[in-house]
Amino acid sequence: MRTEQKLALLIASVTILAAGSDAVSREENAVSREEELRRGFSDVAHPFLVRYCIDCHSGTKPEAQLDLTLFGSTRDVVRDFPTWVHVVERVKTREMPPRDAESQPTAEARQTFLRWSKNLRDHEAERNAGDPGPVLARRLSAAEYNHTIHDLTGVDIQPAREFPVDPANEAGFDNSGESLVMTPGLLAKYLDAARAVSDHLVLKPGGVTFAPHPVVTVTDRDKYCVRRIIDFYQGQNTEYADYFYAAWRLRQRHGLDDPGPALVEVATRERLSPKYLARIWSLLAGEENHYGPVAKLRSLWQSLPDTDAELEQARAGCSTMSEYVRQLRPRLRREFPHLRAKGINNGTQPFVLWRNRQYATHRMTLNRDALRIASSSPRNEEDETAPADELDSELVIPEEEGLQTRHVDAFKAFCAVFPDTFYVSRRGREFSGKQGIQLRNEGSVRLLSAGFHSQMGYFRDDAPLYELLLNEQQQRRLDRLWQELDVIAEAPTRQHQGYIWYERAESLFLATEEFDFARSEDKSVASEEKIARLAKTYLAKADRLGATKKALDAIQEHFRIIDASIRRAERARKDASPLHLRALEDFAERAYRRPLEDAERAEVRDFYDILRKRDGLEHEDATRDVLVRILTSPHFCFRTHPSDAEEPIHPLSDYALASRLSYFLWSSMPDQELLSAASRRQLHKPDVLLSQVRRMLNDDGVEGLGTEFGGHWLDFRQFQRHNSVDRGRFPAFDNDLRQAMFEEPIRFLVDLIQRGGSILDLLYADHTFVNSTLAAHYGIEDLPLEAGGWARVAKADRYGRGGLLPMSVFLTKNAPGLRTSPVKRGHWVVRQLLGERIPTPPPEVPELPSDEAELGEFTLTEVLAKHREHESCSVCHNRFDSVGVVFEGFGPIGEQRSLDLGGRTVDTRAKLPDGVERKGVPGLRDYLRKHRQAEFVDNLCRKLLAYALGRTLIISDDKLLRRMRDELVQNDHRFTSLIESIVTSPQFLRQRGRNYRYEE
Amino acid sequence: MALPWLESIPVWGATNRSSPKRFAALFMANGINPKEWWAKGSGADMELGKCLEPLEPFKAKMNFVKGLFNRAAVGVGIHPGQTGNLLSGAKLKKGAELGGGISMDQVLANHIGRKTMQSSLVLGCEQPVTGYHETNFSMAYSSHISWQNATSPVPMETYPSLAFDSLFENRGTTRNRSILDRVQGDARSLSRRVSSRDRAKLDEYLASVREVEKRIDRIRAAADKAAGKARDRGQSVFTMDRPDNGLPEDIRDHMKLMCDIIAMAFQTDKTRVATLLLCRDVSGLIYPFLGVRRGHHIASHSDTSDSYLRIVKYHCSQAAYLAGRLASMEEGDSNVLDNSLLLFLSNMWSGSNHDSTKVPVMMIGGLGGTLKTGRVLDYSGTTRVPAVNKAPDKDEVFDYSEKGDEHRKLCSLYLSIMDRMGVSLDKFGDADTRLTGL
Repeated sequence: MRTEQKLALLIASVTILAAGSDAVSREENAVSREEELRRGFSDVAHPFLVRYCIDCHSGTKPEAQLDLTLFGSTRDVVRDFPTWVHVVERVKTREMPPRDAESQPTAEARQTFLRWSKNLRDHEAERNAGDPGPVLARRLSAAEYNHTIHDLTGVDIQPAREFPVDPANEAGFDNSGESLVMTPGLLAKYLDAARAVSDHLVLKPGGVTFAPHPVVTVTDRDKYCVRRIIDFYQGQNTEYADYFYAAWRLRQRHGLDDPGPALVEVATRERLSPKYLARIWSLLAGEENHYGPVAKLRSLWQSLPDTDAELEQARAGCSTMSEYVRQLRPRLRREFPHLRAKGINNGTQPFVLWRNRQYATHRMTLNRDALRIASSSPRNEEDETAPADELDSELVIPEEEGLQTRHVDAFKAFCAVFPDTFYVSRRGREFSGKQGIQLRNEGSVRLLSAGFHSQMGYFRDDAPLYELLLNEQQQRRLDRLWQELDVIAEAPTRQHQGYIWYERAESLFLATEEFDFARSEDKSVASEEKIARLAKTYLAKADRLGATKKALDAIQEHFRIIDASIRRAERARKDASPLHLRALEDFAERAYRRPLEDAERAEVRDFYDILRKRDGLEHEDATRDVLVRILTSPHFCFRTHPSDAEEPIHPLSDYALASRLSYFLWSSMPDQELLSAASRRQLHKPDVLLSQVRRMLNDDGVEGLGTEFGGHWLDFRQFQRHNSVDRGRFPAFDNDLRQAMFEEPIRFLVDLIQRGGSILDLLYADHTFVNSTLAAHYGIEDLPLEAGGWARVAKADRYGRGGLLPMSVFLTKNAPGLRTSPVKRGHWVVRQLLGERIPTPPPEVPELPSDEAELGEFTLTEVLAKHREHESCSVCHNRFDSVGVVFEGFGPIGEQRSLDLGGRTVDTRAKLPDGVERKGVPGLRDYLRKHRQAEFVDNLCRKLLAYALGRTLIISDDKLLRRMRDELVQNDHRFTSLIESIVTSPQFLRQRGRNYRYEE
Repeated sequence: MALPWLESIPVWGATNRSSPKRFAALFMANGINPKEWWAKGSGADMELGKCLEPLEPFKAKMNFVKGLFNRAAVGVGIHPGQTGNLLSGAKLKKGAELGGGISMDQVLANHIGRKTMQSSLVLGCEQPVTGYHETNFSMAYSSHISWQNATSPVPMETYPSLAFDSLFENRGTTRNRSILDRVQGDARSLSRRVSSRDRAKLDEYLASVREVEKRIDRIRAAADKAAGKARDRGQSVFTMDRPDNGLPEDIRDHMKLMCDIIAMAFQTDKTRVATLLLCRDVSGLIYPFLGVRRGHHIASHSDTSDSYLRIVKYHCSQAAYLAGRLASMEEGDSNVLDNSLLLFLSNMWSGSNHDSTKVPVMMIGGLGGTLKTGRVLDYSGTTRVPAVNKAPDKDEVFDYSEKGDEHRKLCSLYLSIMDRMGVSLDKFGDADTRLTGL
């Protein structure tokens, strides 16, 4: 039967509480079965306890703090079944009663006791099979909080980085209400975390977004806005050679005919602007302009090779063309002198900006003066000694009038297609006149700067890019980015404040009384009225001092522009306020992972209004506080699924199911697609559910499962903070290696899940994943690794690796510094991988030396063997010491070794618990395959189920566990089979409701 | 509105009580008038240079400290490199990314600020600017003396009305109060729709919210209670009305209001740490009322002129005004000034040649009897004075290893001050020893 069909049946049986005749007879059966078990308790189990156990396990100080008199009936056993399981385990392994006890049960008595226990368990498991169990409301764990904020804001803020490590539940996971408590201290941290997130909130003209860094201070806002513009610029290809090359490709395909749609195709493929490529194409392939530099370019282009095979020559030819343009174009550029006026500092904003504007508006025009008429004498007669430049001849145009015009036109066309620059992304101090030199010095230029001295101020100079390359959509986007700089960073207002300060601090111009009203500290200094007053007064004084008309015009123009920019930004801010609020409502909806109720939507606005009116906050502060309020709400930071359903057990709502899925598979909130499946009420449909699961497993988000499930199951989740390696002795162990070790098992797991691999690969695979750091640690060479990249290593057994067992993260974590620890490593295998329960050691255990070099004549293996001669130790240690000894070929940081730190040859042979001596990790794999595989499988099933449900398992989960194991076998042990079994289970799909009555 | 500090004292009048110690730094930019910045003698017989005339009434409470210097501010060119590290002693990073160090006032704020409504008050009478100086230092260094860490200056409040508000409502923890009110409502409505066990988990949340609220309320309640007590005892409590919105027209009003706010905050124990940037480095302030028409920075280029003397004197008079305010506030057997330290300093010695080989330092107040006052302390020793730095684009390195420099570190003074305020660090800035003889 296919999983979907089974699921459909299951859901049917879940929603329709079956009450047919079948059920009646089942009920009757159950009654008689219970009666039988009750009799069994009084006839078998209870007498067994009384006879062999209760002497020690009773009274005020019972042995092992276990009071067995509390088990007075079948009901008592059922209620505290986990404890009962312990008892049964001890009896089964003959640990109890202890060997020295006076009376020992016969083998048969033991069996009868165990049989009764099993019958009870089977009965109980069947009776409530599929019970969703007590899944408590709980806060998001620190990890989930970080993941969720990342998905919610689109930026990786990690606000819960400083939270204390969340406690794990009995199953070892930090995702259940059993262990996740809320305390005032933590709540304060959640509040701080929400504040930290709100510091990233960017209030844009069109809505809100989040910046990768805090954007509270103006310098941070500058950085944010400037970065986005620069990124946009850098995303445009302005390499001439690439365009010439693309044009050549087109020519190869279409000759000189109109290439039609092929042009866009080629441009898209080569990541070029189709618009600009069309310009270049018509210049090179068109009918006109066969003169001057255009003719030269065309002939260069036409002489490019004719066969596709000669790609390299074509490339080289295009570079030559590009170089020609780069050499020639600067000569055709117009130069503009600085304005000067008496009493006014050369660095004054109006003058610097006037000159910027002259350049910005002449980027695509020809400087007619640069051309020389053929018959006339050389331009600089006094400069005859200077060596004639070979480009000089390019600037010569014929004397004959008609021909001259055509040449000039060609130069104009050349200048219009090849601007002197596409955009200016950086400037030094413009007024100093040191442009060229300054631009080469990284430190003395500023991104997008207007080129002022000591004052902030930006200047947009990208007309050629805008007009020649960008399509309308890109133009709008670039306009928006510049508008954001004005609105978000309040650039114009700040520039104006800086202007007034500068005119006082570096000049005497404002030192007369008439300017006393203008102070840069005054927030109203940027008001329309004050700017007008300043303009008037300033112009009058400049005029009095004899400034030229040009200078006066520049000053007047400056005041007009700055006033307009400030007003525009003001209006944009005002218009944006309602959009911000609206965006916050939507944010709340996503944060709560379900549609908002009308009252909740209204509440967002209501709170904002109160903050504005009652608390007197400005728009921005109020907006941030509304965000903090959303992120502190239990609707966001708690996972709980309230329901108005009356039934004690009922299906999860679609949205609750979406959250359950996403926190299981991604350790984060549902994405839009999952939520819309929920909104269409489709998620309970088996095919939809499973196709969502498959989609989710292929998403990068599954790293959340790898990290949070894998990390806790295999007990390495905190390894990024692992600090017990002596870095003096092991200099190879740095933070990079630690991080690489941490990621290895996660990448292994994610790969296993995504390619539908078998869970047995975890034990037996001979591949693993490394980055360059880990490869060096493992002695793996010749891998094609990019910096920071990871690669799969096949046949890793060549390096002693493959699968989980020899991963250095486990070997390192389970080694106490300067020696290895077969005890801890072996314990890790049997406990984490196989799920064996090992009691904690008695308190009086002697310490082993912390350094292998101090062991004297014995190897660690021999010392451990001596230790096991003590019977009280051997009971447990026999179960795992030898398992750990096989790892002795790996040192304290998981490095392969043949000598231990004391210089003795390591011995990886061990007599494993089945009495057979085996060697190294391959020997251990052999042992696991022969004797322990079922335990491994069972343990993984239990762990994954406990993680998925967010609770400790209960008896009624037995049936599902059996189903998981069965389906696993049917599905080639695929990891995904486990996930599908779980998400289609009644446990996963349903919940206990508010009317559920707990048996107390 | 103003509330005195005594609330934190369990039993009023108990013999072993000690008043809190406060620290304020007052910064004046672009140097002093070197000719008239001196003091001789001690106690009431101390003679003062003309710059310091306004401090005549406080001679017995003063320490005039000569010859200290800030190593990180030497040889880095002019202006910004000498300012942003004045209270941190950190090397400043050139270029687009800011990089310096935490300033000593913020170290104090981190340690003792938790006990008060505001961990520190960071005020200024001139707006920060964010451009770049020709030396490739960010002008942010010119605008801020208080830094919360290497990369972020503490936002500086220039509006007296907002500085005033920050001591009372609508800021920091009180904003959280409004949020907590709301989320409690969420939890309650959620609670009604979940099972009894879930309800218990939500109760955990609710209880946590209430406890955090209580912590916020406790700070306010303690303040209210203390105000009541003080009134009952007829103590004089300095009160001031909330300053008007907007910027005071006149720099005189501006500076006075800022001093009043610090005085009130200190008396009522709203904070114990404050810095006041009277003017920014490369200041554009003007002082028409002093008969000086040039802007501060331009005027400082003639630092020995009579007009610049008037400017320096005016700044010193602000220190005197604040000292007078604090001295008038009784506190136990003494007054707030005696329990405080006002540190007045500038970023250079001489504005005409941007000389930072010596830092002008003057202190008023005895830090609760832990600091002897009425002294002139001279750490000058043998010092090589560098030539005027005329090549700001180059990092000229001067050799200050000669004997004497180890004993005249500004950061040693900071270590000594922090010690007396109960914050004992092994090292700070470039210093790992205390200032000898303080």
